[in-house]
Amino acid sequence: MEPQLSWYLALSAVLFTIGVTGVIVKRNIISMFMCIELMLNAVNLTFVAFASFFQDVTGQLFVFIVMTVAAAEAAVGLGIIIAIFRNRESLDVDEASILKL
Amino acid sequence: MLVLLFILFGALAVGCALAMVAQRNPLYSAISLIGVFISLACLYVTLAAPFIAAVQVIVYAGAIMVLVVFVIMLLNVEQEERRRTRLKFLVPTAIALAAVLIAEVAFILVSVQEFRVSPSGATSDIGLTQSIGPALFTKYLLPFEITSILLLMAIVGAMTLARRGGLLPAGARVIPGAQQFPLSFVDPKAQPDDLTLVEADSTEEAGRLLGVEKQSTDYADK
Repeated sequence: MEPQLSWYLALSAVLFTIGVTGVIVKRNIISMFMCIELMLNAVNLTFVAFASFFQDVTGQLFVFIVMTVAAAEAAVGLGIIIAIFRNRESLDVDEASILKL
Repeated sequence: MLVLLFILFGALAVGCALAMVAQRNPLYSAISLIGVFISLACLYVTLAAPFIAAVQVIVYAGAIMVLVVFVIMLLNVEQEERRRTRLKFLVPTAIALAAVLIAEVAFILVSVQEFRVSPSGATSDIGLTQSIGPALFTKYLLPFEITSILLLMAIVGAMTLARRGGLLPAGARVIPGAQQFPLSFVDPKAQPDDLTLVEADSTEEAGRLLGVEKQSTDYADK
């Protein structure tokens, strides 16, 4: 018995849901950031599973591009986090409910 | 064999993800997230995608998580304080709705006809760098180039955001290769808001122009 495509999709859905839950539950902005990374990884798993089961390289290319976007997002997001911390002395998202610094 | 590997690494990924959400210390969350990334990389290997697995470990578990841990260390994040839950009556509602959602998903998974496609197996070569490279640089060249522009924008944006701005006074003239010091740099008794600008090639010359030559020579003697 081989792993089916639906198994990978179910695992990906579970990971994505955990990520969404984390974004909703967490108040620390860095923890929320890491939950977003988890959601991106869940989508990547879907891409790789489809690429592998359909014998098509396109899915893996999109995973590559998603990873690059995630790296760019990490750089800019952490810059924003540092700017918020410098202005508010806190990483609580409720403290940063006004976008004005 | 593949089923065992799927169960092992899938359970590891889900467990690490749950631990990440459950942790209150962001550093422990980061370490759990690295566990998720590495187990996903192992799953990619079982899906015959070794290139993506390597990039996953290098980019995600390496670069991005190092950046996150670096920021956590830099900002000295304290533990998240536990707060009392507002809207207590919503908790049973949320549990009930989650149960309905899970039931729907289970119904779909059970009732829908299984979509049979053959798994790739070890003979596939679509996941190799040799087959990813030509597609990336011919058919998908435009997304690749756009990604490079995006990375450039991210570099500039991150530097702009992390830089401490607003240090120069209004109307200041910026000379490339020049440095700007407050007057108190040459005169310890100067007022901090004294913003007389002079142009000089050395600290001594600036002190002479500002009339504080004595203090600057005292500095030089010491």
